[in-house]
Amino acid sequence: MAPKNGIAADLPPPTFDLDTWANNYEPGPLLQLRLAHVASRCPSLARHALTLALADAKKGKDVQIYNRLCDLAGNLGFKDLGTQDTEWASRKDEENRRELSRLESELRGYKNNLIRESIRMGQEELARHHLLTGGPIPDPANPQSLSSAGYNAAYQAFGKMRDFCTTPAHINSMTLRLIYTAILQAVTAQQTGNSSFSTHYNSITVHSNRLRGTGVKEEEQSKLTPMAHVVAGIAHMGLGDYRVAASAFLQTPFDYHNSGGIYNTDFERSVASANDVAIYGGLCALATMSREDLIENVLGGPFRAFLEQEPHMRKAIVLYTTAKYQACIDTLRRYYSDWSLDVFLGAGSTSTGSHVDRLFARIRERSITAYFSSFSEVSLTSLASTFPPASTAPDAMEDEVLNMIENGTLDARLDVVNGILVAPQKDTRRTTHQDASKAASEVERTLLLRLHRVNMTLAGLEIPKAKGQWEGMRLGNGY
Amino acid sequence: MADILPTLLGFPPDEKKLTHKQYDTQANAYVKELSKISNSSWTKTVDKKGLLELLDPTANSIAYLVTLNKQIEASQKSQDRLEHLFQLAQVFLTTCDPVQIRYVGEEWRILFDFVCKGIESTQSADCSAVIGGLLQLDPTAGTFTSNHLRVLRLCIRARVPSQALPILDNDIYAYPSKAIKNLPEDYLSEAHELSNAYITEKSGFSTKLLPEHVLEYYLLGAHVYIGMRNFTRARLFLETVILSPSPAKACSTLQVEAYKKWVLVGLLAEGKGFPLPKTSDAAVMKSIRSLSKPYEALADDFDKRDYKKFIAEADAGEVVWADDGNQRLVKEVADALMRYRVTDLQKTYAALPVTRVAHLIELSANDTMQLLQNMIQAGYLKASISSGGSDSVLRFHSTDASSTSLAAKDLEAQTERIQSLVTFIRDADRRLQLTKEYVDHQKRMKKSGGPDGEIADAMDLTWDPPANLDDGDEDIMGA
Repeated sequence: MAPKNGIAADLPPPTFDLDTWANNYEPGPLLQLRLAHVASRCPSLARHALTLALADAKKGKDVQIYNRLCDLAGNLGFKDLGTQDTEWASRKDEENRRELSRLESELRGYKNNLIRESIRMGQEELARHHLLTGGPIPDPANPQSLSSAGYNAAYQAFGKMRDFCTTPAHINSMTLRLIYTAILQAVTAQQTGNSSFSTHYNSITVHSNRLRGTGVKEEEQSKLTPMAHVVAGIAHMGLGDYRVAASAFLQTPFDYHNSGGIYNTDFERSVASANDVAIYGGLCALATMSREDLIENVLGGPFRAFLEQEPHMRKAIVLYTTAKYQACIDTLRRYYSDWSLDVFLGAGSTSTGSHVDRLFARIRERSITAYFSSFSEVSLTSLASTFPPASTAPDAMEDEVLNMIENGTLDARLDVVNGILVAPQKDTRRTTHQDASKAASEVERTLLLRLHRVNMTLAGLEIPKAKGQWEGMRLGNGY
Repeated sequence: MADILPTLLGFPPDEKKLTHKQYDTQANAYVKELSKISNSSWTKTVDKKGLLELLDPTANSIAYLVTLNKQIEASQKSQDRLEHLFQLAQVFLTTCDPVQIRYVGEEWRILFDFVCKGIESTQSADCSAVIGGLLQLDPTAGTFTSNHLRVLRLCIRARVPSQALPILDNDIYAYPSKAIKNLPEDYLSEAHELSNAYITEKSGFSTKLLPEHVLEYYLLGAHVYIGMRNFTRARLFLETVILSPSPAKACSTLQVEAYKKWVLVGLLAEGKGFPLPKTSDAAVMKSIRSLSKPYEALADDFDKRDYKKFIAEADAGEVVWADDGNQRLVKEVADALMRYRVTDLQKTYAALPVTRVAHLIELSANDTMQLLQNMIQAGYLKASISSGGSDSVLRFHSTDASSTSLAAKDLEAQTERIQSLVTFIRDADRRLQLTKEYVDHQKRMKKSGGPDGEIADAMDLTWDPPANLDDGDEDIMGA
């Protein structure tokens, strides 16, 4: 859980109050991971966050996460927090072991009795135990054991329920638990710098699809669908598919808020609050959608209800749609810290930066493109004053613009000598002519080639298989 | 034997308005009559004048042709005489009556052969007689004969390949074919739209054709076009070779050679490889490509605009290019790569200092200047260099080359070409419908079989079978 290179680990304090923020989420492993993320990214809140996290961890029975939190505290220099309560740990460990063997023997009993419902419940109990205790500790000597250690054990145990599910509701409940476990897996993988998180995000997208149209009662389905959209959005965002993520978030019905959950699972409390959804959806939409789409589908669509939860996000989108790009970017910047401390948005690889960084960069690129679209010429200096570049290097703006031209985001040409960005002149009539003549010559060529083929075949001039007859046929090339 | 002159002058008949049928019968009878004349009488003189002086080559073409051939045969030993006949033959080929000679194809080819040999032996660079002769017989030059290849070879051997353009510029639309059974033949003398009506397998204008003749013709033709820098046409010819049908999935050396050139021409003409033609046979292409690996490597570097690697590969493959006779083409492609690297710049830049160009294409400033000037002069680059102060500046001009009226004219010409192509295709279609395979296929298509499976029924009565079936049903019911 050490802070990673390339991602800012010294974020300024966010605008929210940590206690209130933490109260938004239900206690449990994901909350502890959230707090650990905050601690490793924001020095001023680190101590507070770790205190909360350790207190929460001690209420549970996951010794592994407790140990990791202590290690993190030690690494960040909080000696007092870093000292482990070994007595508690060994006691819990012992309890967990006993509980595990009890559950396993119970399950064996059920299996002998061949009662499907009992087996299903036994399997679920076992899986839940793995989830809450963090699963078996991997054996360092045996790399194979990694695949069935930690949360993987819980994931597999939940998966085994499928054979014993008898109603769609059973299946849905299992799918929800699988998704939650996969989210934990993905977040853990990201925090430990393991690149396997994309597999977990992929399995989330697969499972979330299964939650749609499952054949359960209307009222149950109406609770499942929003959750399915939200987790699909989170998964796509984690994979970097911001466009798909945006559309998933935008489809989420506002029933998500205060739905109270189903089958003892409420993603609004555990995974993402309605406020989070507003931010995720808003950012992804800003980074990928056109102004018309933003006005029509984001501000004017059902997603607006979410945006009302986060007025500054709505304000930023409004600013963007009214072409006040710099004000929009400034608004977003103000919450950079808040969002980077989010466990999903703040995650990212060392090479590309966190999702917040990438989304911000995209929004900036799109703002520049949109800004430029109304000019035929813009000088680099005026562009730089409208969009102050991130770095202070003298040719930072030029490099950025060249990059955008080369990767096709910006349709323009640069006059380096005068420092002017020139829009391409479009002569529609001429391009149409050129296209037509190109298409026509293509048709002509194709027709001739096919005619040749038909003629050769008709005249019996097909190339035969026999070998050796080409000898002496080779002519000198060139002349 | 009696004086043969009156017999010789007996055709064409004096009456002006002969039906084609009458003309045809008379011509055939006349040819038969000529064949009865003894060899010795051909060289006799009348009133101290040779037969050739008494006959008009434009009016008495058949007689003149036969006399010429007989006299050539008779005077093999006299060089002077042959020289004289050679002159007469050349004139005859370009001035004869194209309708009359349709009846004496064999004779015509013998004379054509004689002239070709004459040009070869005199090392003359003037092939206009044979080219004119070919066009006199068939103004469209669209039915492929062995003479096409003969002429092309002759022009290339004479080191004036551009002479062959009047032939090459015509698209081949047919090959001499067998007469179709059960089909009333048109009279040879009629004004046929397409020359394959009178140039058939039995007309004697062509020797027996083999697939390699066709491939060689197209490959040599492509050489000519590459030399002329007409890459569109060269591409068509090369693709024709590559796409020649081969049901046995065999691939010819000529095809491999064509493919190699095709790859290089693509790079030269468009700055990237041509897309593979859609109708290409996957199995054949696979074997062709496996034999052309070095060329694909070059194309790959070219696509990536990797000049250094390209040069390295070009040097490493020196022997390969030399063996294939593509050395100069490869060198030219290398130059083209440099040009494309410069022209690529205008997608990104509107103007930039020459030193920067030099930096971007990794050349010294002086070399860059030289290259830019050459490119501007040769018309590859629409730009200007202005020397302002310390550094010269390269300024790209907007690319408005062709005026709209010119483009419109191009389009009109294109439309015309495609329309004439449609005539060719309709003809090929007709021939296709007359093949045994097509008829068999049609028969199979309508399982019940028409009244008695005649060709006409196979083609036209597609809607009859249902009616017949109904009849059959009724019969069964009645029985």
